[in-house]
Amino acid sequence: MNEKITVGIADMKMLKGSGVLITYALGSCIGLCFQDPALHLGALLHVMLPMNMETGRKNPLKYADTGIRETVRQMTAQGALKSRITVKIAGGAKMFEVSGGSLGNIGQRNIESVHTILKQEGLRLIAEDVGGKVARTLLFDVASGQGCIRSYGRQDVFF
Amino acid sequence: MNIKSFDQLSSLELDTLREIGSIGTGNAATALEQLLEKEVRITLPEVRIMGYNEAIDWIGGPEAVTAGVLVGMGGQMSGVMLSVQKLEFINLVLEAMLGVQISDYGELDEMHQSTLIEVGNILISTFINALSGLSGMSVNLTVPGFAVDMQGAILAVPMAMYGGTSDYLMTIGANFVCDNKQVPCHLLLSPDVRSLNFLLAKLGVAE
Repeated sequence: MNEKITVGIADMKMLKGSGVLITYALGSCIGLCFQDPALHLGALLHVMLPMNMETGRKNPLKYADTGIRETVRQMTAQGALKSRITVKIAGGAKMFEVSGGSLGNIGQRNIESVHTILKQEGLRLIAEDVGGKVARTLLFDVASGQGCIRSYGRQDVFF
Repeated sequence: MNIKSFDQLSSLELDTLREIGSIGTGNAATALEQLLEKEVRITLPEVRIMGYNEAIDWIGGPEAVTAGVLVGMGGQMSGVMLSVQKLEFINLVLEAMLGVQISDYGELDEMHQSTLIEVGNILISTFINALSGLSGMSVNLTVPGFAVDMQGAILAVPMAMYGGTSDYLMTIGANFVCDNKQVPCHLLLSPDVRSLNFLLAKLGVAE
């Protein structure tokens, strides 16, 4: 594989033609691979929380709702068509079983929010590997649209 | 004045938090000393305010596997406290308590895990007890959770908790020194911004 481009937390990178995007250690966070196959245009987004309730909205990529919309906006600006865009998602795990805390299950809320927003935006979700309690590193090959998930103590998953 | 974000802390406030880190970790070291029956000292405590990706680099990269014990805080202070335990620390504990060593995290069985959870829980509770005695705040702790996984994902737990209000993660903590070797056991306290304001006010240093 050629040079990989790293996507941080609350971050998004877009590539055209070829290349591999990678985001590390998704716990309760969710990684979303967007692709417009006709243009070989792909984007990888790493969101942390389900909904943007910030007043300033400085960092749209931190949240599922504003992150997805911002990614789609940037892709369509490159000529992508919403009807052609496919999405694959990974993450949303629950890292710790802590009873009686205020921790809640952010992973599960993230998954639900991503599903809702994708439906609202009319984007096609074609594959997912979500939930459980394992951290995931997500690689996304922009040209083929193939995703690969690396985890500790689990076989690599291709989707 | 109340701070709205961790990066607004004054140097007096940072010094106070460093002192809390020192007292908390010092007490935890004493507890560890009794468990291991060995002298345990601490390194200079640090208060760090980091962006998300910076925090992950600081702890040693996102994909490195580590064990983590996590306790949630409630009552007058909300947030989480983490004990990030790397292999060296794990072996120190297992050797002293069970007389065994492991070479990979995959070898941790149920007995090992519950030992690590208990030690993590004792360290965290001791730290919080010291903090609570110092500030007069009553803090409730949850039952500890345990995970062996990529440390990036473990550190993301406190980040996700305050992600809605802060772009930064604040950690207070130090490492242990045992047998003249630094043993990486990051004991990290991550309160939310509201509790931090309350804590600083209780200690009389909020400006």
